[in-house]
Amino acid sequence: MKTPAIEAHALIKNFGTTHALAGVDLAIHRGESVAIMGASGSGKTTLLHVLAGITAPDGGSVVFRPSEGAPIEVTALGESARSRLRRERFGFVFQQGLLIPELTAVENVALASMINGIKRQDAVQHAASWLAALGLAGMEERRIGELSGGQAQRVAIARAQATGAELVFADEPTGALDSTTSSEVMDALLWSTTGQGRTLVVVTHDPDVAARCTRTIAVRDGRIISSAVAA
Amino acid sequence: MNRNVLALLLRPAPGQNGVLALPVVAFGVVTTLVLTVIGGAQSFWGWTDEYAALYQGLAAIALVLLVVPLLSLGGAAARLSARRRDERLSTLRLLGVSPAGVTVATVTESVLVAAVGTLAGVVGHVAISPLIGLIPFRGEPLGFAAVVLPPLQSAIVVAAVLALAAASAVIGLRRVVISPLGVRTRSDVPQVHWIRAVLAAGAIAIAFVLIKVFPSVGGVVLTIAVLAGLFGAALAMLNLVGPWVLKVTASRQLRRADRPERLLAARIVLDSPKAAWRQVGGIAMASFMAVFAGTGVAMISTMSTADAAAADVALADDIRTGLIITLIGSFLMVAASVGVNQASDVLDQRELHRSLHHLGMPLETVDRARRRAIMSPLLVTAIGSALVAAVLIFPLIGIALITAPVSLMTIAAVVSIGIGVVWATTWATRPLLRGAFRMA
Repeated sequence: MKTPAIEAHALIKNFGTTHALAGVDLAIHRGESVAIMGASGSGKTTLLHVLAGITAPDGGSVVFRPSEGAPIEVTALGESARSRLRRERFGFVFQQGLLIPELTAVENVALASMINGIKRQDAVQHAASWLAALGLAGMEERRIGELSGGQAQRVAIARAQATGAELVFADEPTGALDSTTSSEVMDALLWSTTGQGRTLVVVTHDPDVAARCTRTIAVRDGRIISSAVAA
Repeated sequence: MNRNVLALLLRPAPGQNGVLALPVVAFGVVTTLVLTVIGGAQSFWGWTDEYAALYQGLAAIALVLLVVPLLSLGGAAARLSARRRDERLSTLRLLGVSPAGVTVATVTESVLVAAVGTLAGVVGHVAISPLIGLIPFRGEPLGFAAVVLPPLQSAIVVAAVLALAAASAVIGLRRVVISPLGVRTRSDVPQVHWIRAVLAAGAIAIAFVLIKVFPSVGGVVLTIAVLAGLFGAALAMLNLVGPWVLKVTASRQLRRADRPERLLAARIVLDSPKAAWRQVGGIAMASFMAVFAGTGVAMISTMSTADAAAADVALADDIRTGLIITLIGSFLMVAASVGVNQASDVLDQRELHRSLHHLGMPLETVDRARRRAIMSPLLVTAIGSALVAAVLIFPLIGIALITAPVSLMTIAAVVSIGIGVVWATTWATRPLLRGAFRMA
């Protein structure tokens, strides 16, 4: 039986007169990789932001169901509680990595754990093991500017995993990469999430990325118009 | 470059008012300070009596001490103006726009922004001149007419600031023109060599010996001029060694950093020790002046009023006034420098801050790291500079006056005020950071 990792009910979000989300119902199950596709302005990034607790909706609810502990109603939390939830329970990968340029690769990954109270030595050790697992052994001390786009994106993936996030949100994670590197980054992302029993939600324009996921959701005008499970 | 493309690039985008206002304010502050400092100094040039040369010499020293760092601050304002377009211009280069085209667009914009700022600065100078004119020297106020700079000299200062804006824009863009990818990825790592420390230590040792020798071989004015030159050279040496000291200190802090903000702060300094120094270097001069002021106060307090001639007492009072003015000027300069650089950094990293907010990173962590990256180098610089000043002044007046309670209290008070001003400035730029975090 499928267990939901996160559920959304009747989500509404307006920006002025624009209806970014016009009543979205969605359940994403544990271990799934879900691609959210749609044209620019369709509401897919807003949906990801609302699911992740980055943006508060105008209506509806989001409930996160962790593997351990009671369900958490994300939409009922205040700003600081949502920040804490994101920091401790969710992982994020953005289009351009958006890593801290002053820090080395391993420090970027370790920082998230340090903020959660892990000792630096332990956080760095754990971060290094994630970097090695993602094929970046020997690059721990490199600054972000010294890495290629694909390598930087794998550092971002390691950062998303280092805190043990059960649910990872990725916003156009391969948008700035060529097709070969894009495929490698998706390999890394899928291995580190669904490959470890975790859940992945990806916003993408790229049909090749969507094809790698177990389910594809199409969004138009703030509504889900289809949900197709991969064959 | 195509005129239409240039017009398109120069047009402010919606929501960029704040981004444009910052360099305008920075140029305004710089221009007001430069005009006021030069205006104040020129008021002594009309004097012709036996003390005139001494006053003029001291005014020249204050002028050099303040104007040189102000020009550096002007450079920071120009970089603030130019850097905000770095990425877009890098993209233009990648799209094939010629280096000349990129340069023309940036220089034009920087000069336009600087022109608005300098105009406001001139207005600011005229507005505060009546207050500056109230400052007493030789027992009477200087007067508005004596301190306001005439139109021709004002025009020269304005032209110099505009030229500085243009030159800084060109220099700042050299990296974009040479290596567009370098700026986009920030792959270039600035190096600060230890040889700076050797050179600076040697120069300060030579200055120490010369200061010990000179008071006994020249007249009063010559001695003051030579000593001023030597102190100026020592300050220049501090500028040379400062980035290296900050790098070494930050490296030690990095090794011991056990909390996220400490790790981040140390890395921010190590990312560019020169930039860290540029922000807080002004406090070095303030610390120098604090040691002079402290020992000066101690010396004056040991003078018997009955023994001293009235003119000497007036001179001592005026030197104290001059020191206070120079210190206030240097505090304003450091505050403006930190404000401009912090605003620039926050604007440059808006996208990153937004992503950190998405990750759930607390604003407090980033803010504490940012402030620590300023305050830690500031403390090192303030204390280090005061020690160097004490070493240099030791051959002249001995250890007793340096360590006199009134001297130490004055030094501590002045340095504390300087540090407090910078601390307040870092808080003043916090809303910008908060804005970047909320821009989700």
